[in-house]
Amino acid sequence: MNTVLILLPLILTILFSLATVPILVWMERRVAALIQDRLGPNRCHINGIRLGGIIQSIADMMKLVFKEEFLPSHIKNKFYYLVAPSIAFMSAFLTFMVIPYADNITINDKTYYMQALPTDLGVLWFLAFAGLGVYGIILGGWASHNKYAILGSMRATAQVIGYEVAMGLSLVSMLITYGTISLNEMVTYQSQSFFIIPAWGIVIQPIATIIFIITAFAETNRAPFDAAEGESEIVAGYHTEYGAMKFGLYFVAEYIAMAASGALIVTIFLGGYQLPYLNTADLINNFELVLWLIIAFAVVTSLMFLKWMKSHNIYNTSGLDEKKVYATLIIGFTAFAILLMSYYALGFGHASAVGVMILQFAIFTVKLFFLHFVFIWVRWTLPRFRYDQTQKLGWNILLPLSLANIFITAIVVVGVNYGN
Amino acid sequence: MQNEIIFTILALITIVSSIVMISAHRPIDSALSFIVTLVSIAALFALVNATFLFVVQIIIYAGAILSLILFIIMFLNIKDSNLPDEKHKNRWLMGTSIIVAPFSYILIDLIMRSDIAVNGVASENFGTIKDVGLTLFSKWILPFELVSILLLVALVGSVTLSKKED
Repeated sequence: MNTVLILLPLILTILFSLATVPILVWMERRVAALIQDRLGPNRCHINGIRLGGIIQSIADMMKLVFKEEFLPSHIKNKFYYLVAPSIAFMSAFLTFMVIPYADNITINDKTYYMQALPTDLGVLWFLAFAGLGVYGIILGGWASHNKYAILGSMRATAQVIGYEVAMGLSLVSMLITYGTISLNEMVTYQSQSFFIIPAWGIVIQPIATIIFIITAFAETNRAPFDAAEGESEIVAGYHTEYGAMKFGLYFVAEYIAMAASGALIVTIFLGGYQLPYLNTADLINNFELVLWLIIAFAVVTSLMFLKWMKSHNIYNTSGLDEKKVYATLIIGFTAFAILLMSYYALGFGHASAVGVMILQFAIFTVKLFFLHFVFIWVRWTLPRFRYDQTQKLGWNILLPLSLANIFITAIVVVGVNYGN
Repeated sequence: MQNEIIFTILALITIVSSIVMISAHRPIDSALSFIVTLVSIAALFALVNATFLFVVQIIIYAGAILSLILFIIMFLNIKDSNLPDEKHKNRWLMGTSIIVAPFSYILIDLIMRSDIAVNGVASENFGTIKDVGLTLFSKWILPFELVSILLLVALVGSVTLSKKED
């Protein structure tokens, strides 16, 4: 049990970062298809099972892995050229280490932290390694010895430097509000509520939330701030000369960076692993009631999904009847989950601390995937900013706004605490 | 024992990369080995539990300042022909290090005699955010504010200088 609880956050970090990349690629394509009114990926299948298109992501991954490793002959600095994608990948992966997936859990008088790296640095750790990520792009662009690549990496550097300032300042106002830099304590703060409003970051600091989300988009080089790889102007930017798994590392790093900033937004602004009005102690006390609600929710959603699938899954493949397989799987899985939950809900089991932990993982995952959806939604809705517009937005609008926000926050916090 | 092994490895990386930094021919090699130096110094801070210094070292030096320096190096587009050919560089390095050697012996001697070496173990809060903050804002409040005003003057000055040119 000890080892499991210590290893669990590490495993979850790998799951949330590396293992979600194929799912994110799939989400990206499905949501793009939804927004552009197309079908999306649906041809790739294994014996008739298409998994709604996930097989396509797996096929893409296989292609990247098994493609021939190619080294352009004009590259002089082979070491920098080869090490650049791994820097981008590593720093994106390291940013994930401080995200709390659930509240600290105490079993037999021993407290386990549900963070991969139980440190009190929290937000600062994220800032440090998000800043290092830019070296991957700079080095890649410089070592590629290609004008487009250099242009792309210079754009990326200028953008990251500019937006990191606004990001840091918007975080400062959150630090003043919460009075801590530890991410877990921030989530605990957000479990309280003022009157009937939950004290989530997005409610008490809307301006900082907006600034942080915008800068997070810019930090991860995603649209509308992807001028660094603007394919209509500079081919593919900093990864023009990269192929096979070297490109794959950049590709994965971008998604991991997106997942990490999504997780940070969830943790700081969207209440982390908490449900509104229910802190961890309340959850443990009312665990059975919450479980019954989840069971009811699971039954209703799976029935609705089955009905939706029957009318929409009309693509005929040779081999198995896909609909029947999915229906059996969904019914079986839901029945299993409900059986498992009702065992605890009826009061037979006593492992409610572990149960609450699993519930908090689930809440965190749902919020994280909602954030992923927002990231993709924005990418397929907004056009790319021109390069000078990006700089103007960063320096002329976001920077003064975040400074003003810090000022107001400080006055309010000091005023509120004056009487005490 | 573990700590000593880690310390030795990190110290070796720091020394080697700083030697590479001053002896490298191309500016980009120097800048990159400087990053390695800074990160390994940050790791040394982490080894003595000075978490705040560790993270600030990475954010400010390795993250912000060095990426600006790299940005400038890329902007200048330095070719190999632009660099001076430093024929006697190794001789210079050897000569200066021989001259400096006695001073470093004195420095080591000084450190070994001072309180730092005797009280090797710092207090539990050494280098944590709360401790650094309390020290800065209570004991050193006046110098801290003076330095921040100095930085502000430099910032305003650079903005005015860059505006004059248009």
